[in-house]
Amino acid sequence: MATDLKSDVGVGDYQYGFHDPTDQYVFKSRKGLDEAIVRQISEMKNEPAWMTEFRLEALKIFFQKPMPTWGGNLADLNFQDIFYFVRASEGQERDWSEVPEDIRKTYDRLGIPEAEKKYLAGVKAQYESEVVYGSLKEDLANKGVIFTDTDSALKDHPELFREYFATIIPSSDNKFAALNSAVWSGGSFIYVPKGVHIDFPLQAYFRINSENMGQFERTLIIVDEGASVHYVEGCTAPTYSSESLHSAVVEIIVKRNARCRYTTIQNWSSNVYNLVTKRAVAYADSVMEWVDGNLGSKLTMKYPAIYLMEPGARGETLSIAFAGKGQHQDAGAKMVHCAPHTSSRIVSKSISKSGGRASYRGLVKVNRDAKECKSNVVCDALILDPTSRSDTYPYIEVEEDQVSIEHEASVSKIAEEQLFYLMSRGLSETEASSMIVTGFIEPLVKELPMEYAVEMNRLIELQMEGSVG
Amino acid sequence: MPDFEEIARVDEIPPGGRKSVIIDETPALLLRVGDAFYAIEDVCTHDGQPLTDGPLQGCEITCPRHGARFDIRTGKPLCMPATEPVRTFEIEVRGNVVFARPRD
Amino acid sequence: MPAPSTAPISTASAARERRPSAFDRAAFEAFLTTRNEPGWITDARRKAFDLYAQKLDEPLDPEEFKRVDLRAFRPDDYRLIPSTAAAASAEFASLLADRARFAGGVAHVNGQATRATLDEELSRQGVLFGDLATLAREHRAIFEPHLMTRAVRPETNRFSAWHAAFWTGGTVLYVPRRVEITEPLHSLIGLSEAGAADFSHTLVILEEDSSATLLEETASAHADAPGLHVGAVELLIGPNSQLRYVQLQNWSPRTYHFAHQAGHVDRGARLQWTVGGLGARLAHIHQHVSLDGAGAEAQVNGVTFATDRQHISYYTQQTHRAPSTTSDLLYKEVLRDKARVTWRGMIKVEKAAQKTDGYQRSDALLLSSTARADSIPGLEIEADDVRCTHGATAGRVDEEQIFYCMCRAMSRFEAMHMIVEGFFHSIYDRIPVEAVRDTLSKTVERKLGIGR
Repeated sequence: MATDLKSDVGVGDYQYGFHDPTDQYVFKSRKGLDEAIVRQISEMKNEPAWMTEFRLEALKIFFQKPMPTWGGNLADLNFQDIFYFVRASEGQERDWSEVPEDIRKTYDRLGIPEAEKKYLAGVKAQYESEVVYGSLKEDLANKGVIFTDTDSALKDHPELFREYFATIIPSSDNKFAALNSAVWSGGSFIYVPKGVHIDFPLQAYFRINSENMGQFERTLIIVDEGASVHYVEGCTAPTYSSESLHSAVVEIIVKRNARCRYTTIQNWSSNVYNLVTKRAVAYADSVMEWVDGNLGSKLTMKYPAIYLMEPGARGETLSIAFAGKGQHQDAGAKMVHCAPHTSSRIVSKSISKSGGRASYRGLVKVNRDAKECKSNVVCDALILDPTSRSDTYPYIEVEEDQVSIEHEASVSKIAEEQLFYLMSRGLSETEASSMIVTGFIEPLVKELPMEYAVEMNRLIELQMEGSVG
Repeated sequence: MPDFEEIARVDEIPPGGRKSVIIDETPALLLRVGDAFYAIEDVCTHDGQPLTDGPLQGCEITCPRHGARFDIRTGKPLCMPATEPVRTFEIEVRGNVVFARPRD
Repeated sequence: MPAPSTAPISTASAARERRPSAFDRAAFEAFLTTRNEPGWITDARRKAFDLYAQKLDEPLDPEEFKRVDLRAFRPDDYRLIPSTAAAASAEFASLLADRARFAGGVAHVNGQATRATLDEELSRQGVLFGDLATLAREHRAIFEPHLMTRAVRPETNRFSAWHAAFWTGGTVLYVPRRVEITEPLHSLIGLSEAGAADFSHTLVILEEDSSATLLEETASAHADAPGLHVGAVELLIGPNSQLRYVQLQNWSPRTYHFAHQAGHVDRGARLQWTVGGLGARLAHIHQHVSLDGAGAEAQVNGVTFATDRQHISYYTQQTHRAPSTTSDLLYKEVLRDKARVTWRGMIKVEKAAQKTDGYQRSDALLLSSTARADSIPGLEIEADDVRCTHGATAGRVDEEQIFYCMCRAMSRFEAMHMIVEGFFHSIYDRIPVEAVRDTLSKTVERKLGIGR
């Protein structure tokens, strides 16, 4: 039932702090995680036996694996105090008018219809663990592009699905990949056939709505030879007083001569644990790019990775992290050079304010015989006040000599001279700081689709004014 | 190339068993599959930590930490997140004694 | 990537199996009877031994040791050697001894002091320079407050505890207030017998407004003799003082070297610290510089040239505790054959350390496709008014540069030499002690295969 958000939470206005009455939900599993729940999830989805087995195997691995001893503080995370599966409405709708009223209202407030009209080819809307609405523009469908939710892909494209699923991130990869593998629900499945170029970004929205709700979407993207796609994901969530867990897995295969860019703006409310495993493999002469914006959540641990498998592959990751009060952004990037003549670039910009903690954690690894590789990493961090904290933890492992690997990082506060200059032109200190911070992250923001760039800049402004978070 | 060095007795390792040994000053894992012996460097090429306790299925050893699998006969990595082969050693069994030495 | 390791390289049970018989409790008690030491020293040793025994059952810190494989290391193979005449006269190919005029010299062979000299003039001014076993006994008031109380501490891990229980001697320098020692002092740590273990402890205390230069080197008498060094270096630099300290590690390629080294720099003081990593089969150096007082400065230089199957590992930290402090670390490594160099470095800036300038950089030059360089710089910053940067590069000799040299009638070999020289140049430029520059340069040449 609807609750008075302000009195419930008492943390001041949160821009996206609204939610829908939860008695609209069709089905919600009981709290906690065990074999019975996993079987229930698989049954409700009507999955083939192999997927049920896969989930159960992953659950075993999840229970066996220890919690990580590095990164953020996961001490308050209680796995048994979370709902792992909620289905919000039956089936997939095609038209906005058919979507249930309050869900539509939610998306109206997020501004989807305009975005749909102007920029998007298709929208997959995830509402509480399952995809409720999607529309795929006809021409994409004619080109053979598959853009659907992962649950449907398992049913409608079983061979294609099975060929790639969990090959990039096996269940045993880490504890949270195992968790996702056991309880995954929703997420996007994209297949772009050979030579097909999609000129506009494909998007999806996510929300966490119910108390103690977890989000476990599983995304799989296959870009066939010579094709290209840009996928954008952005999410918001209301503020609640109990914890929330978001543990997604994203696997991407970029084949020879193909291109893929995956953009994320994450703005989870400040009680969410956002623990994500994202990994791409890039084949000969292909390009893979991660654009990763981390603005929200209580704790984010996320290190998008690119494995450069064949000569000519190129990987690039642009990462922004903003850690405000009570937040810890532990993010970064991983590049693994498995073949000669591959190159990688990581640009990370982080800001910590009001006691927030921003940590860059990354890996550049060059395997033996990966000759003529180049890698360049630049990490810049701004600390805006004495109570905040910034860390940099880069790992560089080089097993081949015919390479060029460079890494540099710096941490500082806003330069006095810059501030003084702007203030002498009539800006207040807050406005000046805000402008400098916006300039600081500009190289990344300019890579975002327009409405994200606008949203990002607006959020930064609000953070700088201290009126959010 | 260094000589063969004695690393174990055949009767101290049952089929399916293993022994931690040092070959050419390198920590290695001697494994017995049926009556055949294989030795690999005891380091997972993914995270640089030991493979010592990894479960063995046929001729495939799985790293206990992130699930990387290796063929112990060739060292070849079989799945993510491993991308590099693990080093293998040459084995010779003379009577009841197992000898090993690094490959070229 | 910091993959959580559920099986650290040295598991507790493996450690138990390898527990050294030359260093167990019985051996420890026997060792104590050979010492002629006051109670305060014996008590400290006993506490340290208890810690050592306890820590052998605990796993090592994975952050520090995950890239250092200790499974082939058998403490059982080494033992402390009682002093012998043979040791006293052992010949060492000293890198430094002949390169400068020294104001004093201390030598230890197999852990025993064989020589301690100091210019008259300096003794008269109250400078103490000699071996730890003797001086600690004779000057309790000066040394007890400082010996392994804050710089290197027994409780850090099993190696520091092991050292604290079994230290045999080492070079000690004490400089009273306002005494400036212009000529350098020399210290040699030598191993001359196969299987010998050295637990030398270097302790330097500079009182306010004083200065000194100490050049230390380690050497093995025989290139093929196995050896062990579990050492410690403590540098305590008082307000407004200046210390230049160099340690050239040049053990045989069959020696294991574990060192805990810490320098504390008080307000207005300066430390210039150079480490040379040339020898040893496996060397792990835990190096900590702490800027404790306002205006303190530290410059740390590292020159490493690893070949064959050497593995040289550095675990460094620059801690800024006070405002307006500066630290600047530059490590340069050249690797060849199947060598491996690991550098894990951290700059920690505490909340109070506003206006800190912290720098760290590591450059690795690989000369073969079978070498491996791991660089893990790090920053943990809790103050905002700071400037901290770090950088790391790894790569090969630029073919264009070689081509350029060869066009000028140099052989490829000579060209390579020149380039490696050039690579180390920025470090040599930072070391104002000519003897050290020359030494490093010549040693690198020799290792490169260009003997002269």
